[in-house]
This record gives sequence, C-alpha cells and structure tokens, in this order.
Amino acid sequence: MDGGKFFGAFRASSGITDAVVLNHVPVGCNWGAAIFKTTSNQFDMRHACTVMHEREIVFGGEDALREALIRADELYDTPLILVIAGDAPSIIGDDVEAVVNSATLDAEVMWMEAAGFKGSMMDGYEEALLRLAGLMKESETIQGSVNLIGFSPDDFKVDADVKEIKRLLLDAGVEVNTVISKCSLEEFRRAPAAELNVVLGQGTLLAEQMKKELGLPYLKMDYPYGLDGTAHFVNAISEELGTGHEPEFDIEPFKRVYLYLHELYGTPVSVIGDFHAEAMANFLDGELGFNVEVSARNEDDYFAFEEEVRNSNTTILFGSSFEQNIAETLNIPLIRFCYPVFDNVCVYDDAPYAGFRGAVCLTEAIINTVMSYGGMNK
Amino acid sequence: MNGDINMQISKQLHNMANEKENVLHEIFRDRVFNGIHQGTTWQFHRYGINCKLSGSVYAVSEIENAVPLIHGPAGCAVHQRLKPRKMYAPIYNLPCTNLNENDVIYGGEDKLREKIGEVYHRFHPSLIAVLPTCISGLVGDDVSGVITELDLPCDLLHVPSEGFAHRSRESLDMMMRDYAESWKDPSRSPAYDLRGCGHEEVMFSIVDQLMEEQEIAPNLVNIESFGRFTYGFRSELREIKHIFGEMGVSVNLTLPTCTVEEIKRAPAAELNIVTRNLRWAERMKERFGNDHLRKWFFYFGFDGVEKFYHDAASKLDLDGEADAAIRKEKMQSLQELEKYQKIFAGDDFAVSTQGFFFTPYLAKIYATDLKLPIKYLCVDMQLLRALNISEETIEVMITNMQEAFEEWGLGFEVVTNPTLDEMSEIAKKVDHVLSDRITPPIYGKGGGVGVMDISATRYLLFRTGFSGIVEFGKYLAEKLHGERGKTYQNNREPIISRFNYDKIHYPMLDDNRCSASREMWSGMWSMKSEGCDNNGRR
Repeated sequence: MDGGKFFGAFRASSGITDAVVLNHVPVGCNWGAAIFKTTSNQFDMRHACTVMHEREIVFGGEDALREALIRADELYDTPLILVIAGDAPSIIGDDVEAVVNSATLDAEVMWMEAAGFKGSMMDGYEEALLRLAGLMKESETIQGSVNLIGFSPDDFKVDADVKEIKRLLLDAGVEVNTVISKCSLEEFRRAPAAELNVVLGQGTLLAEQMKKELGLPYLKMDYPYGLDGTAHFVNAISEELGTGHEPEFDIEPFKRVYLYLHELYGTPVSVIGDFHAEAMANFLDGELGFNVEVSARNEDDYFAFEEEVRNSNTTILFGSSFEQNIAETLNIPLIRFCYPVFDNVCVYDDAPYAGFRGAVCLTEAIINTVMSYGGMNK
Repeated sequence: MNGDINMQISKQLHNMANEKENVLHEIFRDRVFNGIHQGTTWQFHRYGINCKLSGSVYAVSEIENAVPLIHGPAGCAVHQRLKPRKMYAPIYNLPCTNLNENDVIYGGEDKLREKIGEVYHRFHPSLIAVLPTCISGLVGDDVSGVITELDLPCDLLHVPSEGFAHRSRESLDMMMRDYAESWKDPSRSPAYDLRGCGHEEVMFSIVDQLMEEQEIAPNLVNIESFGRFTYGFRSELREIKHIFGEMGVSVNLTLPTCTVEEIKRAPAAELNIVTRNLRWAERMKERFGNDHLRKWFFYFGFDGVEKFYHDAASKLDLDGEADAAIRKEKMQSLQELEKYQKIFAGDDFAVSTQGFFFTPYLAKIYATDLKLPIKYLCVDMQLLRALNISEETIEVMITNMQEAFEEWGLGFEVVTNPTLDEMSEIAKKVDHVLSDRITPPIYGKGGGVGVMDISATRYLLFRTGFSGIVEFGKYLAEKLHGERGKTYQNNREPIISRFNYDKIHYPMLDDNRCSASREMWSGMWSMKSEGCDNNGRR
C-alpha cells in the first residue's frame, strides 16, 4: 500500500512550513494528499489546487495553472510557491515549466513533476528534496550542527519527536540546523551550514548530492525509538562530530510499571510501516522483549502481510490507521505510530514516541492500550 | 417556573423517556462517533473537495458483499479508502490495478482483466465494481469491454468515476435560488439534478447493468438511502416501514444499502422513493416502468410528512384507503407531543438557525408543530456566502423566507445575521435562546449569551416520520426543565469560544493561511464549467 510519487512530493514540499503547495491535479488528488495532513494540524492550510476538470483534460491545463499561480501569489503571504504536477498533466503533456517560467510573481516559484504512476511515495519524496535543493544557499558552517533529513509534516508525532530529538542533541552539544522537511524556507536555505547530515530513513539522495557538491558528510541512522536506539543515535552523531557526550537516561518511569513489563515480556506482535517500522520492531524486540512475529514495509504485498499476521500468534499490531481492520478482525489492539494516522491525533508536543521520553510515552501507550482492551471479555 | 414544578416535570419526563426505544441515544451516538469525522471533513470542504471516485467507493461499500476495484495507480487506492461520509470506517480491502508508466503508454486492460480474476478468487464477492480513475479514463481503457468478456461467477459493474468530471461551484447558487422561489409554492420545486459526486453514478450503473426485469408487485416501494451510516438511519427506516405497513405498503429494499440479489429484484417495486438525484429513478422508469417520488424539503414537519405519505399513496393508487392510517399515526404523535407543547407554552423563545434551502420549513416545525412561542428567529446567512451563494440569491432567500413566514402566520420577528450585541439584547427579552448549530464561539464569548444547544437533536426534525418531532419535544422539555446535567452547565467558557473565528466562514479560524486557502479554492473551483448551463443544470 503505497501513496505513489505524488504523495511523496506533496509531503516533502509541504514540509517547507511557510511555502504554499500548488497541486496541478484534479480535485481528488489534492483532497487525498491534504486530508492526511490535517488530522493533527487543522489550520495549517497552505495547499491549493488548479482543479483540473474535463475542460483542462481536453484543452490542456496550462491556463488553469497560470491563473492559479497569479491567484496564489495574490492571496498568500508566502515567499515560495511549490507547484507539483500530478498524473493528469503528465499524461496530457502540460508544459508546466513554460508556465512557471513565464509567470512574473512576487513569490519564488519552483515546480516538480510527480505523476503518481511513475514511482513510489519514497521516490516522490527523494526527488522532491533534490529539486528543493536548488533553494539552498551557500552558508558558513556552524560547528557541531546537523540537519535531520527524512521527516514529513504529517508524520505521526512529528512535532513532539523533533522537539525531543533536538533536546537530546542539544544535551550532547549538537545543534539542529535544519529539519527536512519540517522547516521554514529560510531554515531550508541555510541547510548547507550544517556540519553533518543525518538521514532518517529517507532523503539519502539529497544527502548524497550535498556530499558531492558541498562536501557535507552524512550518516544514515535508524529512527531513534527506545532507550538503546536513542542512545545509539545520539552517540553516533556525537562521535561523528567529536562532542564526546554520553547520553544518560532515566529508567525510573519504567520501574513504576515493572510488573506489567514482566507480564508483557515475550508478547507476540507484528509491525508494518514505512522506514519507521524497522526501528520500532528493534525497540519492541530488544527493549520490551516482545516477539516480533511479522515485520513488513508498506511497499510489501499487503495481503501477504495480512495472511502472515493471521497465521501468527500476534496479540498487538503496530502500524498506521489502515491496520485497524486486521486488528479488529483478529480482536487485538492496534498501536498507531506511522503515516497515515487519521483516527488519532497528536497535539501535545511533549509526548513523543522518539527519544528517551518517547520510550516512556510509547511504553505507557502500549500498557494502557493492553490494559484497557477488555481482558478476557474482549 | 419554580423548583417544585421543575422537579415535577423532571419526574414526568423521566417516566416518559422509558416509554419508547431510545431514538435520542441513537442520534447522539451517531453524532459523536460519526460526526467527529464527518463534521470535521465537511469543514475541510472549504479548501477542496474529495474525488468522485470516493463517492463511488462509498456507494459500492453500501452493497453487501461487493468489492470496489480501483482501476488506476496505487495512490488512488490509498486515500480513496477514506470517504468523507464514513471516515471512521475506511475501505480496508480496496484492491487496485496499480497502473504504472508502462500501462499509461500501452493501456491497462490486461491488468484489469487479471486483477478482476484475482479479486474474485481472493474475496469471492457477489459483485466487483470497477471504478476507473482519471488515469484509466485518460488512457481510454475500455472497462465495459473488459467486464463484458469476462465469465466469472459474480456480477461485474462498471461505474464511470473519473475524478476530473465533477459539478461546478455555481450550480448550488441557482439551485438555492430555485428552492427559495418554491418555498411558498412547492409545485415550483427545481426538478433538475446537480451533477453526481460518485453516488449517483453508482446508482445509475446498478440500474443500467444489474437490475433485471420483474413483475411489478402492487404497493411495494424501494427507498434510496444516504447510507446506513446516516444519523439515525435505523430508527427512521423502522418508522417509515411501520407507517407504510399501516398503509398496506411494503418496503422492498433500501438502495444501495442491500444485497446484489435484492438490487436485481428492485424493479419489482411499484414506486421508488428518491432521496438524492432523480437520474437513476428516471432510468428505472425508462427501463422497467417504476414510478418515483422525490423526498422534497416540504415533506418536513407534521403536515409535510403527512403530505409525503399521501403523495406516495396517490402514486400507488391508494388514495383514500391509506388516509386513515396516515391520520392515525399523525394524531398519535400529535397527542404525545401535546404534553411537551404545554411545557413550552409558558416561556418565550428565540431560535438561532442558519439559512439554507430547508430553513422556512424548519422554522415552521419549531413554531407550528412544537408550538414554541418564538419571539425572534435569528437566521445566519453567512454559511451561504461560504458556499459561494451570490448576494442576489441570498436577498431572494431572505425576502421569500419572510414572505413565507407572513403567509403562514408564524408571527415572530426575523433577525438576519445578528451581532453579539443584538443577540445579547434578544436574550434579555426571552426566557430561552435555542441554537440548532454550535454557537458558543460566536455568542458565548466571555460568558456572553447563554444559548441552549440543540444542534444534534435537530436531525430528528428532518425525518420522514412523525416521531422524530415528538422525540425532539421530549428532549427539549427535559433540557429546559429537567434536572439532568444542570449542575454543570451554568458557568461554561468553552475553549472553543476563546479562539478568533472568521466572521463569514465560521467555524473557520481567523487565520491568514485558512482564509487564503479557502479563497484560492473557491476561486479556482468557480472558474470551472461542468458541461451544463451557466447555472449548473444538466
């Protein structure tokens, strides 16, 4: 189950938090991409649409795009308009570049081609970041600073996770320069000022390009779930930058529920998701002592995953909102942790799933979910 | 009223509450568990609309043991799992042909053929509904051709659901004006359809491709539903069946909320009750000769509901025969309502509502059926502006509404778009201010005007039956004079009343990004024609 290239480009682009994303698509693609973003951020409305209609399909969508650009420039107080051309304009052959180049606007305009049928969501994310790299400016290096690459504004717990990761790195004497893609245009422009790029699951092509063109090294890291996962994450960055920090975590909160943790040891679980899934599975397995019976990525065969879970002893499922059906069928709880989550909100910035604090919150969520599930009556 | 009387009424109300099945509880459950998704998604329509494909997925999901199959790229089958009317229940099994670049060049028919077979063997459904997307539509795949040549032990359906074919924004303006023109004379109600948003296409396709010739059975009706997840659907359907039953009329099925076999037998009904667009029913008339009756706005309220059943009886040649049954049902409910009307009689009311095509008939229910002594009817027309309804149309609506109220002798003062100060003044002159939409953020700021919220229960007033109004009366009487919850409802300053809202597009926040995105969407959508006249009519 993959959202396709258009969704990836939308997620990367809408992560420039003061930019406006102009989707050159029919209504449905615009609605679909945006709906997942609005669950936990209902007033962050920075997307627009050219509303490709039968007329555009027949006569071309260039006029609609031109008109939309003018209107967007007038209506939004934004430094940047990002045009994403989806499936329909790709097939009918709209010359998006010509329209963008001919427009004289106050805002800077950048466009990208992202027909859904031309690649996966990750392809769309990677290519969009490469395109956005054109916005970066040469900047003086800030010693001991990193860029975090791989985020999207509609990731579950993204704000809380970023806050926690920044806190941990700051403790280690590392400053986060830019979070990609969850930053302002100005922050994005000055990404080259970092001493190191840290890639979390996606954005490798951008990191590779920045290494090639700017000599900026990068580290590929697992998403920092759990105590050990987080310690490893901080240590690796700290070591790379030579800040020599040993992160410390507080085991006390776990002591308060040690009996529950004992009881849950050996719990058979299954995990599915994007790049977050592997790190989550490592935490569940390595730190909570759960038995991860089935682990899959979104791009794997979903029906095969479902079948494997059904044939396993799984008692807790970890995934996105789309796994609720399997959980319900098997009468087991679902812990939502990765995109798309549309039936849970995350609005408290101090309740992350990543980092040391995240390990506590996640453990709390798991225990509460299990305890309130209804026991034998369920 | 003093405390003793309140206590007495409260006891009386408590006893009454146990007399019937808890219809109210059903409404509140639906409002909470469906509404949290549906109501929120409705607000997002300020910034975009969903794809026609998702409307079709929703309608197909209503058919028992039917599987929608998306013929398009993988991305279309991800977000289309969520349908605005049923966000809490995604279509988890939404297979897709996963068209890629090669298929766009060489066509996706082979993939479709293969996928249909795979879907059958995986799910063993009664029906596979193939839903083409913008991509397969553009490529020009012959979906009908593919499904015709396949021989599988299940039914196959082709629903034209390409996302780039949708209605225009302006179409609503003319429809709203035509409704306003017909408030005093319902015979002038607009007899045209707005272009479909997926549901209509499924309805038309099942008539065209699935239904089979049947011998028409007298006094048998089909009812088109908005889907089983509509607020209060179960209890409303129960009542409709009961009243029809008393009239000697049977309900054949609810469309499309039924099985495939039932769909095939749908032409056995003498009459179709149309809830949405007429196109499918006209097609049934053309193919099988079934007559139809549309559920219009003027079928609300005691007289309206009575007229609906009379009109249905007339279509079924039951004039006269059914009269007694309809009158009996109406009188029973009126009798039951009387005890609540007496409770309301001692107080003065102001009612805050919003302007829409049903507003005059809703006001008539408050004033005539419930007999609320209304001094002021406060009508907020801003929603219409938010829906791109023109100032001219809004003027026509206000004028015609007032003329209708005068003609019906309702006797209250109409105040359009009252400010907070005006509402404060009105509140001082009445005992109660009721609001059938959530208004604390507008009128409750800083502990301003105390408004009684009836937003959830107003759904009871839009039913094709008499009991909803009675249930509403019971609820209101309990709210006004019952004891339940009174301890906690006095000093509210809800968090939602502490935000700043856009003055026209409430409840949109007063936020530059929201305003710009709303205006951007509205402007771009307005530019689109839909292959119909300038007014959106087909």
